[in-house]
Amino acid sequence: MGFIKLVIFGFIGLTVIYFSIAIYSRSVRKERLEDEFDEKFPEGGAEGARDTFIAEGMHAYNTSIRPKLIGLVYVVPTVVIAVIVYTINTN
Amino acid sequence: MRRIKTIVRVIALLVFGLFFHYVLPQHDIVKVTSTEIIRTDFSALNRIFYAQADSGATEQPTRDLRLINTQKQDTFLLGFIPRDSNGVMVYRNEDTGWIWPPYFKFDSADLQAEAANLARGDEWVVVTHYGWRIRWASVYPNAVGVRTVSGPDVTIIPWFNIFFFIFLMAGLLFVRAMWRQFRERSVDPLLDAAGDQIDEVQAGVAERKGRMSRWMDTWRSKKKTPPQ
Repeated sequence: MGFIKLVIFGFIGLTVIYFSIAIYSRSVRKERLEDEFDEKFPEGGAEGARDTFIAEGMHAYNTSIRPKLIGLVYVVPTVVIAVIVYTINTN
Repeated sequence: MRRIKTIVRVIALLVFGLFFHYVLPQHDIVKVTSTEIIRTDFSALNRIFYAQADSGATEQPTRDLRLINTQKQDTFLLGFIPRDSNGVMVYRNEDTGWIWPPYFKFDSADLQAEAANLARGDEWVVVTHYGWRIRWASVYPNAVGVRTVSGPDVTIIPWFNIFFFIFLMAGLLFVRAMWRQFRERSVDPLLDAAGDQIDEVQAGVAERKGRMSRWMDTWRSKKKTPPQ
């Protein structure tokens, strides 16, 4: 059955893409937080301040809407396929 | 080395170019002359150029194939510049099903009815299709849709292909950015750590060697002092 194959392999493929983007996005955010801190305290700041600053920033990121938007990776292709199915098969 | 690199690049470009030329939709301006159904026995050579059986049917080694016969306006440059001459073109009309190529076409019977209707008149139509006509292998492009147009000189803007290539470029740039980030944050620190370790080991070896040779030196005969 073609449809079941599409759903299963599509889900696997999109999951790979989802996690790659999620990891990438987190990594970029963490790097930016590190740079921000280093700019604010060029001499290093207090003991452990850098770690807390980054942990707080990452917590703020995790509770924001941005990581949830990565879920669109699943939604957009599904919508695109539905649109293609509709436009191709109506005359 | 540089030449090999260039050759590999050219081959890769050629393969991707042919792949996209086969799979992406193209438009022909034609007059439908007739429709027909022929029995087709696929060979190992041309099986790959045909779709599977209609999406509700079962796969058999032999099946009927819907064809659309047309009189086609010749063009230059992938259909952008019309020429004054005509040629024939035959399209197959098959369901692509759910998997590949992802046109999700299930309405080949309806398309055949539409084409049969158009064959009665003398109208110009645009056939959207993918694939190639390879005569020596009995391969036909697959028609995906037809629509009537006012004349043979209409300009068709391939919106789908334009957006497809834009998204492809954006996707490739994104993958490149991801790869760079991964290297910068995950691979390079590891390599640096490994490099440091190697340096330390080498320094240790050098020091031990130094100690060893100094000890060895104590066994060598001392410079002879001239006799007094």
